[in-house]
Amino acid sequence: MTTTKRIATDVGGTFTDLVAIETGPEGMKITTAKSDTTPPNFEAGVLNVMAKGNIDPKDVDFMVHGTTVVINALTERKGVTVGLITTEGFRDTIEIARGNRPDFFNLHYEKPEPFVPRYLRAEVPGRMTYLGTERIPLDLSGVSDIVDHFRTEGVQAVAISLLHSYANTAHEEAVLAEVQRLWPDVSVVASHQITREWREYERSNTAVLSAYVQPVAARYLGNLDKSLREQGLPQSPYIMQSNCGVDSLEATSAVPITMVESGPASGFWGAAELGKLIDEPDILALDIGGTTAKCSLIEGGEVRIMTDYWIERSRKSAGYPIMVPVVDLVEIGNGGGSIAWVDDFDKLHVGPQSAGALPGPAAYGKGGNSATTTDANLWLGRINKDYFCGGAIDADMDSAGKALKQVGDKLGVSTDEAAQGIVRIANNNMVNALKLVSLNRGHDTRDFTLLAFGGGGAMHAVALGQELQVKKVVVPAAASVFSAWGMMMSDLRRDYFVTQLADLSEGSATGIEAVFASAEDEARATFKSEGIDPARLTFLRYGKFRYQNQEHTTEVLLDGTVTDGALSKIMDDFHEAYEREYTYRLGAPVEMVGIHLVARAEVGKLEMIPAPLGDADASGAVKGTRDVDYALEGKHPATIYDGEKLRAGMAFDGPAIIEDPGTTVVIHPTNTVSIDAYGNIHILLEGQS
Amino acid sequence: MVDRFTLDVIAQVLDAAAIEMFEVLRKTAMSPIIYEVLDVGTGVLDRDGQLVSSGAGIPSFIGVLDKSVQAIIAKLGDTIVEGDIYLTNDPNHGGVTHLNDVVVAQPVFWQGERVAWVASIAHWGDIGGRTPGSMSTKTTEIISEGLRLPIIRLFEAGVRNEAVVDIIAINSRLPDFVRGDLWAQVSAGRRAAATIQQLCERHGRDPLNAAIEAARTIGARRSNAGLCALPSGHYPCVEEQDDGTFWTAAITITDDRMTIDLRDAPTEANGPYNLSRDGAVVACQVFFKALVDDDRFANAGSFAALDVLTTPGTLFHAGPIAAHAYYFETRMKLIDMLWHGLAEAMPNLLPAGHFASIFGTVIAGQHPDTGRRYAMVEPQMGGWGATSKRAGQNAMFSTNHGDTFNCPVEIAEARYGFVVLEKTLSFGPERKGEFSGGAGVRVSYLLRNSAMLSVGYSHANVPVWSIQNDSIGGKNQLRINRSNGTVEVHHFASDIALNQGNIVEIETAFGGSRQAQ
Repeated sequence: MTTTKRIATDVGGTFTDLVAIETGPEGMKITTAKSDTTPPNFEAGVLNVMAKGNIDPKDVDFMVHGTTVVINALTERKGVTVGLITTEGFRDTIEIARGNRPDFFNLHYEKPEPFVPRYLRAEVPGRMTYLGTERIPLDLSGVSDIVDHFRTEGVQAVAISLLHSYANTAHEEAVLAEVQRLWPDVSVVASHQITREWREYERSNTAVLSAYVQPVAARYLGNLDKSLREQGLPQSPYIMQSNCGVDSLEATSAVPITMVESGPASGFWGAAELGKLIDEPDILALDIGGTTAKCSLIEGGEVRIMTDYWIERSRKSAGYPIMVPVVDLVEIGNGGGSIAWVDDFDKLHVGPQSAGALPGPAAYGKGGNSATTTDANLWLGRINKDYFCGGAIDADMDSAGKALKQVGDKLGVSTDEAAQGIVRIANNNMVNALKLVSLNRGHDTRDFTLLAFGGGGAMHAVALGQELQVKKVVVPAAASVFSAWGMMMSDLRRDYFVTQLADLSEGSATGIEAVFASAEDEARATFKSEGIDPARLTFLRYGKFRYQNQEHTTEVLLDGTVTDGALSKIMDDFHEAYEREYTYRLGAPVEMVGIHLVARAEVGKLEMIPAPLGDADASGAVKGTRDVDYALEGKHPATIYDGEKLRAGMAFDGPAIIEDPGTTVVIHPTNTVSIDAYGNIHILLEGQS
Repeated sequence: MVDRFTLDVIAQVLDAAAIEMFEVLRKTAMSPIIYEVLDVGTGVLDRDGQLVSSGAGIPSFIGVLDKSVQAIIAKLGDTIVEGDIYLTNDPNHGGVTHLNDVVVAQPVFWQGERVAWVASIAHWGDIGGRTPGSMSTKTTEIISEGLRLPIIRLFEAGVRNEAVVDIIAINSRLPDFVRGDLWAQVSAGRRAAATIQQLCERHGRDPLNAAIEAARTIGARRSNAGLCALPSGHYPCVEEQDDGTFWTAAITITDDRMTIDLRDAPTEANGPYNLSRDGAVVACQVFFKALVDDDRFANAGSFAALDVLTTPGTLFHAGPIAAHAYYFETRMKLIDMLWHGLAEAMPNLLPAGHFASIFGTVIAGQHPDTGRRYAMVEPQMGGWGATSKRAGQNAMFSTNHGDTFNCPVEIAEARYGFVVLEKTLSFGPERKGEFSGGAGVRVSYLLRNSAMLSVGYSHANVPVWSIQNDSIGGKNQLRINRSNGTVEVHHFASDIALNQGNIVEIETAFGGSRQAQ
């Protein structure tokens, strides 16, 4: 057995993280390192963190890279000037948008501004129908003037989005070719290259946003690749995507918008893979960071991927749609740094404002005077004030106490009660988010294992698990760098969504099968062009179904070739999935609206090696005891364990705290704990075995 | 005594329950007007029918369901038992709006006692009556507007009344749609009822009531704070209507109350334009909320400081025979009048007028490719008015709508079979020294086979109002371009025959402008 070295680097807003895993005859060796993110030359930070972790690029067999460059360019409006070419009569589609006013009592509501102003939105004559047939031929004679106008106005990227291009790409392809002919060096993208689903506003906006970030992302990825290859990295890094897979650097550079939610995706994929490893395929995954908490549901080892993704959308704003495959997640503004505040009507809130890294929680002692969730956790003894941030920061308990007292004074309660209140409100926000992905979709949380990671996940996980009565709570080994681990477990994966209306009736199977087959052929060709043997590809086929006349669809996993004989089983599966989610079924005809094909191939995926289970006695890991306030269950003397000294097979009972440099695990009084062969912490709640 | 954080937690869950109901309905409904236009409201109410929380796509459906449930309690009192589910759609029986809007209400019981209600209201595509889509401009009595459901049991102690379902289905031109929409509403209610029962299980009944009471107090305090910030006074409102008449009303604001006096309203209309008193109150509530606390947070406390005065037998308090199909344009015009009246007096507080119409457009027919029957029921977007700081917003739905989504052109063409020739912004003139009104929308449909059109909109003749400015906003218009070259303009009309090759062209008004400061 030879040694294989895999690394994952993750560029965040503040830090660039590295995880390296070496597998060989000696077992597994895990290295982590952290260094500053270095805008605008992000590749420097990546090289720095590799040097810090003693990684020579020459020795790396497989590298995955995750970056927030796309979402940052979008939210900070740091993309390029885009020109849009669209169908005659529809230049205003991206400005009219959907016309909605989510903040509906507000007479001063302002619509989100389109990313392309009206004078850079041009039209071409020509029409396709919804069936994909041509109604009016395409007229390219005006494209030359459009391109000239774009050049004069300083356009740096062109987006093309024509009506019904999901059904027939010919017109878009022709415009694309014409633009490339007239202006060979411009960055240009057509909507069908990103998605084959209907809804012209969503698809057009997606093409526009992809064009907006393309030059920025391509430059970033190009520089990264160049620097790494110059230092001897044998093959280009793979790039983490929003669909929980990785994609090649080249493909990502062409359509970078698929990276938009890659950060959370790697953690959720890690949760799915870990679930398979520990034989818990049904997982409620929770990632609590500094600013937000995110959660997602994994059923049967599969994440749910959707294309209904929006940025900057809230009760106050309509936001912008991005129609790319993104892991189905709910995100709320509730993390360790979330600020607790009392409104004008004496109600306590936690988040969504965050104290961030600077000034950070009051206990950082860096001038922050707002109480955060972290300050409350410290005050209640849940976080060790003498081992704050792994001992890296001296907890400023005076500042934390002052900040909490301010909250308490406004509410007319003691500082202790204020801290308890903050933890309870934060927990309740997270419980509601977890319900959105589970109970509200017809899943019984008692069948699911709650897997908590990120810096703050383990602190709140048991309280949330108890509220939701989950099967058990698991905190993975190295929970704070779990996302990077997830990247190394990812496959090369592409999700193909194609809108295609079809009745589910005798004779329709051939047509449905053809749509799948065509998408599969496209996938094989794409993977092959990247040197992946098509024989290594595996597919998952999902159909999107609804009762005739409905709008929203329910996705059903299909088994094998679609034949007329298989239709009744497909229909039964749909009725069952529908009834589980919505409590009733109908006798109405069922129709297919489109397909979702998952194509994936393993590329250098990590195989975990279990350690032998040792003695159950965990006394060797005990650091001491201290009083911990569990909010709902009150104060208890808890045994404190050193997370780095826990070994496979150890077991103990709550109340307890496990302290690790990256995270704190809060074990409640009636819990029992065991460590598995991979170092994961399994927590059973009261009465479970 | 329950601690305050437990109360907060319970209140949050009650809020989430109403939103969750809304999401279920959005995903399962059959009628596009429910799942895209979001002509839907959901609510959690206390045991007496006071509003606790609401999930709604549109502001004018907040504050409807409390009136429905209170009407149910008034009618059935002690006979309400666990497992009952009620239906009503009649404005004379807690239905508030028009017959298309069907209320499904379910009492929530815990340990044998009624602890709350959950209810939803949704616009069904067709409830019978003389015209497809059930909204005729020609009716003079409610009896000809469709099937009336005057508070009846769909479920009696858990047992479904099949007869009711059959009667509803056979009285609709779209029986599959109404069945689907009905079950979507029932399903949404069950989801929220289960959530409330779990809350009781976890915390008990008294904390539930205490949490509701605490939230209501906050609702009242929020509104009172906003009311206090408004200049007290007596503000007359006068608004010219498309038919040349003038409506009048008066608003009186004190430090702790607002009274909207509608007693001077015209006599009820001999056409489908009437509002029930409940409907007029809801309109006033929408305007009140926008003025004093424009956040989406709303419960019974939010509206406690508002008084609405009406006279029976008038347009805003119509009698038992009156027709209501187009009630929503009247409600829109009522808000427009109040808004205009206060904007004159408080020009920095309110934007200039917007296109002020639902502009309900119904095209019904047979799909040219599939042969299936369809009914497109869509509101239109239009221009909004300039504020004291900026130009008006382009192309949004009216103030009575909210998180309403237009239908994508690609979906409309597939679903209805006509061709959408254009959908573009329609700008007003730009003048120096002015913040201009936002653009309306121009949209045109080319018919591929015959169909029927019904439409109704305001500001057809009277332009949208501006503030302290000579220039005015635009007007709304619908034209039919016939194949022989003739052009017809329609305002309030139903059952207009459309033929293959006809083009229906809609242009909505740009908003009111004002002088730049």
